[in-house]
Amino acid sequence: MPELTYREAVRDGIAQAMRADDSVFIMGEDIAEMGGSMGVTQGLLDEFGPDRVRNTPISEMAIVGAGIGAAMAGMRPIVEIMYEDFLTLSLEQIVNQAAKHRYMSGGQVTVPLTIRTQGGAGWSPGAQHAQQLEAWLVHIPGLKVAYPSTPEDVRGLLWTSIQDDNPVVFFEHRLLYPVKGEVPETLEPIPFGKARVVREGTDVTVIAIGPLVHRALEAAKQAEEDGISVEIVDPRTLQPLDEETLVASVKKTNRAVVAHEAVTRMGFGAEVTAVLQHQAFDYLDAPIERVGAKFTPLAFAPVMEQFVVPNAGDVLDAIKRTVGK
Amino acid sequence: MASEVKLPRLGQGMESGTVTKWLKSEGDAVAKGEPLYEIDTDKVTQEVESDFAGVLLKIALREGEAPVGQTIAYIGEAGEEVAAPEPEAAPQPEKVSDTKVSDTPAAAPPAPVTSNGRIKASPLARRLARERGIDIASLQGTGPDGRIVARDVEAGLAQPEAPAAAPSADIESIPLTNIRKTIARRLTAAWQAPVFQLTVTADMARANELVARARELNPDVRITVTDLLAKLCAQALMRHRDVNVQYSEDALLRFPTANVGIAVAAPQGLIVPVMRSVERLSLAEVAGVRGDIVSRARDNKLTTQDLEDGTFTISNLGMFGIEQFVAVLNPPQAAILAVGATVDTPVARNGAVEIRPVMSMTLTVDHRAVDGAEGADFLRTVKTFVEDPALAL
Amino acid sequence: MAKVERETVVGEGTLREFLHDMLLIRRFEERVEERFRAGELPGFLHVAIGQEAVAVGVCRAMEDDDIFASTHRAHGHTLARGSNPRRVMAELYGKVEGVSHGYGGSMHLYDLEHGNYGANAVIGGGLPAVTGAGLAFKMRNEPRVAVAFFGDGATNIGTFHESLNLAQLWRTKTVFVCENNHWAESTPGWQHSPVWDDMSKRALAFNMRSIKVDGQDVEAVYAAAREALEYARSGEGPVFLDIPTYRMHGHYIGDPQVYRSKEDREAAAYHDPIPRLRERLGLSEEEFDAFDEEAHRVVEDALEFAKNGTDPQPEDALKNVYA
Repeated sequence: MPELTYREAVRDGIAQAMRADDSVFIMGEDIAEMGGSMGVTQGLLDEFGPDRVRNTPISEMAIVGAGIGAAMAGMRPIVEIMYEDFLTLSLEQIVNQAAKHRYMSGGQVTVPLTIRTQGGAGWSPGAQHAQQLEAWLVHIPGLKVAYPSTPEDVRGLLWTSIQDDNPVVFFEHRLLYPVKGEVPETLEPIPFGKARVVREGTDVTVIAIGPLVHRALEAAKQAEEDGISVEIVDPRTLQPLDEETLVASVKKTNRAVVAHEAVTRMGFGAEVTAVLQHQAFDYLDAPIERVGAKFTPLAFAPVMEQFVVPNAGDVLDAIKRTVGK
Repeated sequence: MASEVKLPRLGQGMESGTVTKWLKSEGDAVAKGEPLYEIDTDKVTQEVESDFAGVLLKIALREGEAPVGQTIAYIGEAGEEVAAPEPEAAPQPEKVSDTKVSDTPAAAPPAPVTSNGRIKASPLARRLARERGIDIASLQGTGPDGRIVARDVEAGLAQPEAPAAAPSADIESIPLTNIRKTIARRLTAAWQAPVFQLTVTADMARANELVARARELNPDVRITVTDLLAKLCAQALMRHRDVNVQYSEDALLRFPTANVGIAVAAPQGLIVPVMRSVERLSLAEVAGVRGDIVSRARDNKLTTQDLEDGTFTISNLGMFGIEQFVAVLNPPQAAILAVGATVDTPVARNGAVEIRPVMSMTLTVDHRAVDGAEGADFLRTVKTFVEDPALAL
Repeated sequence: MAKVERETVVGEGTLREFLHDMLLIRRFEERVEERFRAGELPGFLHVAIGQEAVAVGVCRAMEDDDIFASTHRAHGHTLARGSNPRRVMAELYGKVEGVSHGYGGSMHLYDLEHGNYGANAVIGGGLPAVTGAGLAFKMRNEPRVAVAFFGDGATNIGTFHESLNLAQLWRTKTVFVCENNHWAESTPGWQHSPVWDDMSKRALAFNMRSIKVDGQDVEAVYAAAREALEYARSGEGPVFLDIPTYRMHGHYIGDPQVYRSKEDREAAAYHDPIPRLRERLGLSEEEFDAFDEEAHRVVEDALEFAKNGTDPQPEDALKNVYA
């Protein structure tokens, strides 16, 4: 199997979708000649031309909104919001428009729109370029939300997003772009709502998304030295959520840690925790632990940023708390 | 016919309004679009224009609040009679019922749940304890902050006896171990079930031959009569599913597979590890499983899984020379088979007395779940299988 | 700004059809007001009484494949574009037979069959999508135009500026119809916009072509809309239609309009587009009454249909969340 970086996998997913279907096009800030501020869309302009690879003005409302209208008119647009912090500017369009057209029309309208964005801490950009806002979007009926953690998943899920007839908010993580991983020779679509068991174990289940999948793997290796067997499950899509796989794993291990980079309080992990306590209550041998960022904006100084954002050590500590070690 | 002037809805969410002033008197001529009265809503006071032209015949609500849609006046031709006037004030059912509610003494709050004696235990530990009939209060927690966790329940089941007290001339008081408490509680509970007993004897000649032959073929495991009995009972249970049941508060639970428990006299007390789906196991496999759980029971190494989900129990005291006995039910299971020693016995056979190896079996049955005839039919099948094991195939 | 030559516009037969449509919208909305006041209609409703010539002039100028998005004040646009009055009324009653099957209501009328991509209750909320639809038509080289209706109040929100900028930049097949009734809810134009009396200056900032036309003259609106639509259809670029008009009633049904002088209301009534068209056609009282009776008949039929419509099942609320 060939090896791609996460960045190359996203690019390959976009390019393959554009080759397969003329109605797929991409627009966003600085995505054409520059190839995107993260270099994800490099080369697409050369292959597909300026009509299908569109540099936009700095207008997040119009980028998402034009995507909505084009989608309603039969296209399958991919729009890029350069940083998920800037999703806030387009939130009206995402929440009131994209998510609700189908519903308010009584099922007449479809909005096959993919909204790609990226973010994440770990490089000291400060408080406006590193947030993790997935919890805002999973709260909105009518939206689907994906957050892949590996090259294989990002390519397969991006393909599925583009083919989906619903608006999808697709989260990528800045620090994952250089991560390498094997991908299938030919693109294999990954269905939404199917979690992946990243690692099997018997003592505790870590449910992690995005970069925390990788940090959980590190933590699991260290835990193993202490005789703790850790299972890791990556939901991959947050909406729809594969509750069945998460619950089955926790019923097996009787302990759970939920981990994401976003602020812990009111985070996506709170919902997962509620699902687990409800569906696996009689199987829990310890309180469910949550790992996430501390309740503060992200500071600039690297020492402060590192203090706020969860790392492998935080996951390991949570694992140990669940087994009482 | 006179037109009814109804209290209008003047904005979203408006359910009622208050008429504050009439700008026309009864008998006045009114033009369509002419201001007729003033109304207070929660937002604003405003004039309301007449929707009709004619004479204001009757003001039904001079002042006060009314729901949207209530008739507040009539407009028609001069001298026209109007329908029976509405009551002056609008009925306000909500307020009436409010009063009623407040007149009623408040219902007594539920008895406060005392937090004293609240025991810190994980949900899993509580479930396991509930299933095993263990009093969670008797356990010592080893989890975070002293929480009782699953391993504590398991340890509680298999806890060794307390060290013997020093010899004394007085009556010895030996503290109850958890397992002893459990045994006591469960057997007391068993006593509350209405049971009946059935006894048969079986000729063991062929069974003994089969066991001997199986031992030759499987030198690695030690196959016993108990193993054969477990296997034959499982086969019989599959033919008599109405015995492979449990009585519960709201339903009779019938199980698809025969999980046969073996009563073991472990050093710490009586314990009943379970062999699962015995009907699917070969005799050698039964022996393997039985050997494993019995030895672990004696070594105090059983896990909770080993003790779960039994549907039938065999208690064999033959090795103590007991010829016949009655076992106490192992709830929630519906039946337990008490097996005695095989004894050479003179038996009338084909008109002559022969010495045959005979074993007695007594079945104790929960009558709430199984009737006498069903129990008897099952036991007859067991006897047939024991006397001719080939029939169990 | 282009001047519209009114002599060459339409024949009398077409004008009579316009009168039919305008009267239908007027009687429809009057009846809706009346039923709302009677407590029969749920929700939040807004009528466009006084603005019928804009709806009819623009919608009649569109081709069958053109699409539009409307605002919270959408009854007129929807009816003018040919949606069945029965189904529009049924939607206001929250019935399954409604144009949005009871999921939308007055502020969210959709009718894809008649090019209605949705009435939007967030001011300016639909403008980016109309731009995007116009982009799709341009990319696919289709002879279709996407039309956005919005009021003067919307010219102050970000989506308006971002959409006009993007549309002009990419020359999307879009027409922006600014119905300037000089009120943003209760706030008069002079309090909310420095160019309130000439909204086409907004278009100037984006170098977008604009056409100004009297919104009470249906013939002139129609002519301007034809011109704008054909220009956009050719792929030359979007057009901004600046249409001053008059809102004769309140912002919402039941609005006591405490903020508005009697004189202003009277001035609005003076500019009623319906008597103006009647005069233009030289109709006698009998002839006009015949139009009016037909309008009443259609509205009563729609009302009867709506009242007898099917209520959705409560659990239908869980459908249509995802495709």
